[in-house]
Amino acid sequence: MIEEPPPFLKTWSRVYTAVLLYLVVLIGLFAWFGRAWS
Amino acid sequence: MRSLDWVVLFLTLGGIISYGLWRARGKQTTDSYLRAGRTMPWYAMALSIMATQASAITFISTTGQAYVDGMRFIQFYLGLPIAMVILSMTAVPIFHRANVYTAYEYLEQRFDSKVRLLVSILFLIQRGLAVGLALAAPAIVLTVILGWSAEATTLFMGVTVIAYTVAGGVKAITWTDFQQMLIMMFGLGMALITAIWMLPANVGFTGALAVAGGAGKLNPIVTAFSWNDRYNIWSGIFGGMFLALSYFGCDQSQVQRYLTGSSIAQSRLSLLFNAVAKLPMQFTILLTGCIVFAFFTFEQPPLLFQKNAQARIEQSAEYPALKGRYDAAFLKRRAAAENIGNDREAYQTAHLEFEVVRKEGSKLAERLLGEKGFNDTNYIFLNFVTTYLPVGLVGLVIAAILGAAMSVISGEINSLATVSVIDIYRRYLKKEASDRHYLWAARGATAFWGLYAVVTAQFARNMGSLVEAVNLLGSFFYGGILGVFVLAMYTKRVGPWAAFIGVIAGEAAIFTLHYSGMASFLWYNVAGCLVVIAVGLGISFFEKRPVA
Repeated sequence: MIEEPPPFLKTWSRVYTAVLLYLVVLIGLFAWFGRAWS
Repeated sequence: MRSLDWVVLFLTLGGIISYGLWRARGKQTTDSYLRAGRTMPWYAMALSIMATQASAITFISTTGQAYVDGMRFIQFYLGLPIAMVILSMTAVPIFHRANVYTAYEYLEQRFDSKVRLLVSILFLIQRGLAVGLALAAPAIVLTVILGWSAEATTLFMGVTVIAYTVAGGVKAITWTDFQQMLIMMFGLGMALITAIWMLPANVGFTGALAVAGGAGKLNPIVTAFSWNDRYNIWSGIFGGMFLALSYFGCDQSQVQRYLTGSSIAQSRLSLLFNAVAKLPMQFTILLTGCIVFAFFTFEQPPLLFQKNAQARIEQSAEYPALKGRYDAAFLKRRAAAENIGNDREAYQTAHLEFEVVRKEGSKLAERLLGEKGFNDTNYIFLNFVTTYLPVGLVGLVIAAILGAAMSVISGEINSLATVSVIDIYRRYLKKEASDRHYLWAARGATAFWGLYAVVTAQFARNMGSLVEAVNLLGSFFYGGILGVFVLAMYTKRVGPWAAFIGVIAGEAAIFTLHYSGMASFLWYNVAGCLVVIAVGLGISFFEKRPVA
């Protein structure tokens, strides 16, 4: 079975890295939100 | 509900189901019925995966949980994106290349039939118990809104789901889920916007956040660690990751969604979409609960959100005095909330006093109804929707809740039927039969599990927060199942007996952990998985290696 490349970022490893970076940013935003309003 | 709400409700549900069945039209085979002939695009699988996980419980219980406990529940999902990446890298290509109907079929390819049978049985027990809970949540909705008996509502829901699941198989389920998820997102967005719009003019969105934050509700990240704290960043990332790995990687109700993909890339994209979209969606749901909390800070809520319990305590001799104190506590808290910018501490004190009176109401209901641990968390959002949302929108939100419930139940009974037929019936009871025979066996098994869900739902009510009950139940089995898949995918030397004994040891460890009360349930997955791996690897060192 031939592995298709992703439709963006060219390689799967780049897509995975982008998802993990997105998670880090999201946790940072949640933490900021909590501090700003609590 | 008014007439227009009924029209919106039935048109929405009818439209969704008709669309799903229309997409599943044509000649059916066992492969098309259970795997959609491996033709599904990523976006349909992605929303189907989300819909299968985002149950009615997500709407009803999570918003209520935010109202009571704040937003810290979101940390439960922090490990999910990591799990999705790991599964896209490993499980997706392995399952696709193995060309399996169920995840457990792969275990026989890697180990042997006894490991496949053991894990299939664990799945059937765990998912079989949970499917009743998934049906019980929407029964709460209809009971509150229609005044139907719980038995009748479960039967109505169950029969509807059984009808389209038996008829259309996984293709109908996936396309129905796709539509249901879109309705869910729209309904949720409208509920949030309405809640914000109905706040007093001088409060607004930022004022609502200040009120919810002052009461400690806006706490999405908790960094303090405790083994017994269910929701902090550490248990969320590590415990949540293990739970998500187990759920999306080893639970047939989820694996079956992405086994329908037309390629490895399409299946990967469906999981990665969930990695990106899940946290914002949960954040929005929890925020809705917090905004509803702020709304009820300025608009007096009933002492209890469960109407029957409220009616019961109103008949008691203690109620007039309690109601007097409740009214006074509400007015004091509202006045303090209006002045929160100047005196935050006064608001916090008033909020605590208000909560004390509300707890007394719950205790009174507990005593009068004879319900130990009385909990009306699941009724908070419903009370808000049915009392305050404009006509038409109530029908849409209720359709979204019912759609959410149906997507979960259909996915679960379909997966239970698939495991029953592929891993048990075809493997042990009827090895050689025509494709048509197995197709009818799958239809029959789907109907059986649907009826089973209806019956077990009768026992699943009054279990406190339903979302926690479902997650707790899953945690008893997921760790053990995940452990054996880790052994299968990441080790070469572990043999069948080592894996088999490892699973039993892992399950024993989980039950020991639970009954000793040593750690929160999120850690059961981690502990169970690690025990399976350790025991499996340990035994494999004493096993004779096959001569190459």
